[in-house]
Amino acid sequence: MTGVSAYDDHTPILELRSVRAAYDGGIEVLHGIDLQVHRGQVVALLGPNGAGKTTTIRVASGLMRPTGGFLKVAGHDVTGVSASSLARLGVRTVPEGRGVFPNLTVRENLRIATFTGCGLSDIEERAYTRFPRLAERRGQLAGTMSGGEQQMLALARGLATDPVVLLLDELSMGLAPIVVGQLYEQVAAIAAEGVSVLVVEQFVRTVMSVADWTVLLAQGTVRNAGPTADFDDEVLANAYLGSS
Amino acid sequence: MNEERIKTFASEVSELRVNGARGDRERVLLGAGVTLLVAGVALAVVGGLRASSANGLGNQIALLATGSFIGFALVGAGAALFVRYSIARFLRYWLVRLVHEHRTETDRIVHAIESLGRPEVGRPDADPATMSDAR
Ligand SMILES: Nc1ncnc2c1ncn2[C@@H]1O[C@H](COP(=O)(O)OP(=O)(O)OP(=O)(O)O)[C@@H](O)[C@H]1O
Ligand SMILES: [Mg+2]
Repeated sequence: MTGVSAYDDHTPILELRSVRAAYDGGIEVLHGIDLQVHRGQVVALLGPNGAGKTTTIRVASGLMRPTGGFLKVAGHDVTGVSASSLARLGVRTVPEGRGVFPNLTVRENLRIATFTGCGLSDIEERAYTRFPRLAERRGQLAGTMSGGEQQMLALARGLATDPVVLLLDELSMGLAPIVVGQLYEQVAAIAAEGVSVLVVEQFVRTVMSVADWTVLLAQGTVRNAGPTADFDDEVLANAYLGSS
Repeated sequence: MNEERIKTFASEVSELRVNGARGDRERVLLGAGVTLLVAGVALAVVGGLRASSANGLGNQIALLATGSFIGFALVGAGAALFVRYSIARFLRYWLVRLVHEHRTETDRIVHAIESLGRPEVGRPDADPATMSDAR
């Protein structure tokens, strides 16, 4: 394989094609997912609990190898490439739950992002510009900050090293709606800079206010996908309540 | 994010080698270590036995060389592989375990500090005033 890539502006940055996935024990939980994220686009991945949203994010980040179908990044088939290789190149994941080390300070948590080759001072500068609150707390143990501040830190760390794709799984976990709104303002700003974002979120309205495209999952399949504007309350209610 | 970044990204991605499942490779190498170890011991023993029953110093040396020495070399290589990969596994497990424990511990400490800091209404036992009354 050579350095000549098949990428042009119309190629999706991230693409899942007919992706199937199963957990140990062989129970298939994704039954052929098709999904595309274009450059600078925010795609919301919605659906009821257990629909397979986190699993889809795991496949997209390379953490989980699909049992069928392809994962393509910038037009190139990367099915089976390790999550660490993808992360190093610029596919960053902010996982479900807390993505920070509670017994490390804010600064030490940011230092972890130097694995990409960026210097700590650059990383700190970018993180604090985006989230000034973190600058005030740089010496504080992450575990003692509020949930919202911890998520800011997780997001800041994901962003501090020039990501191309950002995979977000429930930033809002356990947070007050107003904090969630602030986090998503940042997500919108990031996308405006050209970063492509695939985001799972329970705060449906908040995420839909920043998403260009929405994909509705139910029971491991895509039930509905289209421009966010096409999703009205009725479509959403049906998807979440399980009727058709 | 500029054009340059996207171009670099696309070309770096296209250079990625899709090399199967890495977890599997590790398991295979661990297995290979064990196999080499066993084969090495067997070869050394066979070589040694045949050398001691062979007649003529030249024959004995030849058998020792092909049997025991190669055997020892295999044992060395096998042991190195085995140690490398079993330790990696163990350390990884240990690290996850530590992170997990620290996390729980921090939660507990934070919780304790918080409950000391502000005695809650509706929990008279946590209120210093009531507590001193009770004593
Ligand atoms: N580690 C695992 N082992 C076995 N099954 C799992 C595992 N993780 C998830 N599952 C199953 O896979 C299905 C999809 O789970 P997933 O976590 O992707 O759902 P989700 O859409 O993220 O749900 P939620 O909104 O609750 O986070 C569920 O039925 C779940 O029970
Ligand atoms: Mg989930």
